[in-house]
Amino acid sequence: MSEPDFTVEIYQNEYLPEGGRDVNAVVTVATAGTVSAAPAAAASSAEIIIVDCSGSMNAPPSKIAEARAATAAAVDVIRDGVAFAVIAGTHQAAAIFPADGGLAVADPQTRESAKRAVAGLRPGGGTAIGQWLWLAHRMFTSHPAQLRHAILLTDGKDEHESSEDLGTAISLCEGVFSCDCRGVGTDWEVAELRRISTALLGSVDIVPDPAGLAADFSDMMAAAMGKQVADVSLRIWTPQHASIQFVKQVAPAVEDLTGRRTGSGPQAGDYPTGAWGTGESRDYHLGVQVAAAGAVGQEMLAARVSLVTASPSGPEVLGQGLVRAIWTDEEALSTRIDQHVAHYTGQEELAQVIQEGLEARKEGDEDTATAKLGRAVALAHQSGNEDTAKLLAKVVDVVDAATGTVSLKKKVADADEMALDTRSVKTVRTKK
Amino acid sequence: MTGKHRSGQAGDQPGQGPAGAEEAGKGMATCPDGHTSASSDFCDVCGMRIGASASAAAEAPAAPPQEQPQPPEPAEPCPHCGAARSGRFCESCGFDFDPGSRERTIEGVIIPPPATGPAPPAVPAEPAVPAEPAAAGAPVAWTAVVGSDHAYFEDVVAAGGPDAATLAFPDYCPERRFRLAGPEMRIGRRSLSQGLEPEIDLTGPPTDPGVSRLHAALIAEPDGSWAILDPGSENGTLVNGTEIAAGVRVPLHDGDRIHLGAWTMITIHAN
Repeated sequence: MSEPDFTVEIYQNEYLPEGGRDVNAVVTVATAGTVSAAPAAAASSAEIIIVDCSGSMNAPPSKIAEARAATAAAVDVIRDGVAFAVIAGTHQAAAIFPADGGLAVADPQTRESAKRAVAGLRPGGGTAIGQWLWLAHRMFTSHPAQLRHAILLTDGKDEHESSEDLGTAISLCEGVFSCDCRGVGTDWEVAELRRISTALLGSVDIVPDPAGLAADFSDMMAAAMGKQVADVSLRIWTPQHASIQFVKQVAPAVEDLTGRRTGSGPQAGDYPTGAWGTGESRDYHLGVQVAAAGAVGQEMLAARVSLVTASPSGPEVLGQGLVRAIWTDEEALSTRIDQHVAHYTGQEELAQVIQEGLEARKEGDEDTATAKLGRAVALAHQSGNEDTAKLLAKVVDVVDAATGTVSLKKKVADADEMALDTRSVKTVRTKK
Repeated sequence: MTGKHRSGQAGDQPGQGPAGAEEAGKGMATCPDGHTSASSDFCDVCGMRIGASASAAAEAPAAPPQEQPQPPEPAEPCPHCGAARSGRFCESCGFDFDPGSRERTIEGVIIPPPATGPAPPAVPAEPAVPAEPAAAGAPVAWTAVVGSDHAYFEDVVAAGGPDAATLAFPDYCPERRFRLAGPEMRIGRRSLSQGLEPEIDLTGPPTDPGVSRLHAALIAEPDGSWAILDPGSENGTLVNGTEIAAGVRVPLHDGDRIHLGAWTMITIHAN
């Protein structure tokens, strides 16, 4: 196994006006190669599929049937040698394969046994997702695999434990494994799954029709099989007394990492980015405020952004980029906004106004909802975010996309509203 | 506009342990503000460009460091906050080690709190797990299994208490198991305001409105068996269908059924 080659590129307008202290930059991290390149050494990977088996999965019965089929499809994609398990989740969690509660090593026989166990899943019981995470944590930590990933499927709210119980389980799992979450049907809560997927550096999405589960599960598992480097962090050094205003992943989706800092040395902190495969590219938006403006003509380093991963010999630096500040009295230089920074500032606002607009709509505040969702339509239109524009058009009637003139639709399908909410964070890239 | 820098620039990595910037002079760069820096492009402490004007440096790639950092000597502690010294200014509080300029620089310096990461997540205790059957020869394991009982609920409603009309049997009630341990196991609902955390916490959902905050207690007897005591709860407690007197210990046996509230049933297992 050879690690993919990482590159770090910085996009910014480094020129600040006299007295300016705020430095913005977009950091593009990419790995060389194509996604289908040679996979990682299988022994270092572990996968757990967590399937909701609560009583509601039987309504309609096609839900559990499709969940079984999807789990079997995902099991089929697991490479030989990868450690794996399947958990059935209710108000408790049960290891249904392997039965000993450990992890099995994938080969044709174990995959068949797993699928037989999955075929026997019968719904019944409640929903306590924290319990499912606890069991997954225990199973993952019993195994030395470095790349640990879970897929979690639910169809309902986390009813049979407190929100604090779930929070405790999530923080326990943070940094131990990543988790992609899927909600099937429309009786689950977007905020709840987003809380898990955000903390565990995974995705969240709605699968409105159970029939779509199998394809989605195989895709997620295939993506997980392509990961090669675990636990990569952005290490950001800033000068004395500077403050980091925010660190956000902005592509492929908006995820705020600001609160995820772990100190890693003098004036430096690490922000988790999770696991990486070949042929990946992600963008991060960084805001730094330096302690004091420099004199005109002075140059300083506002941030040194390194990409680090743990290795047996200590942190290994995979790439590095410099965010600079140069003070100038030429307005033509200092007033420009870097197009990448401008683009992603817009995409961040797009995600935010969609979530705020939907919230206002739920609370019956139609004026705010119309204003926010109208702004979202305009932003999606300007940035060419067609997927989001299409989702918005199911919730509002668009009169004029350019100006964001909209009216709220009177009847909106739950699935459309939840799809807009979950996918509001998805961004489009700038054309470079 | 675009800086592209690849890995492997030794000595160019601040923030990976004590900055090896203690020793001024040999092997170290010095920035315009007088900080010593292991990195030779920008100062490790204040970020200022070292040894080049902005215009000259603007498009130039970061110069590789000319020297390796020296092993750090024991760092002089900051007299103000005790942090190890790595340059002219203390990295945690901003104290100026240069005595000549101390008065003018310490004045008006904003002292930020030391940078710390978020606290590590508290590792909670293991969650309740279903009791395993006791091994042969092991002491008797006592377990209380909490569930709901529809027949009992109908009796309560039929008895027609003041709130009977408002009671509803839960659509779904998960079975909860508690291994009996310690001197006593209180049965009730946790109350933050009263600081009450009963060992057998019946807080739902679903929550039985007829269960008092401190409803009853299971008490360990010296011989290893358990008894129940209702201290005088609002709605009382039944053991095997008979209401028990308040304040009296009633011995329990394997299979005993305790009813309380509107629909709660606790089954005792001893095996």
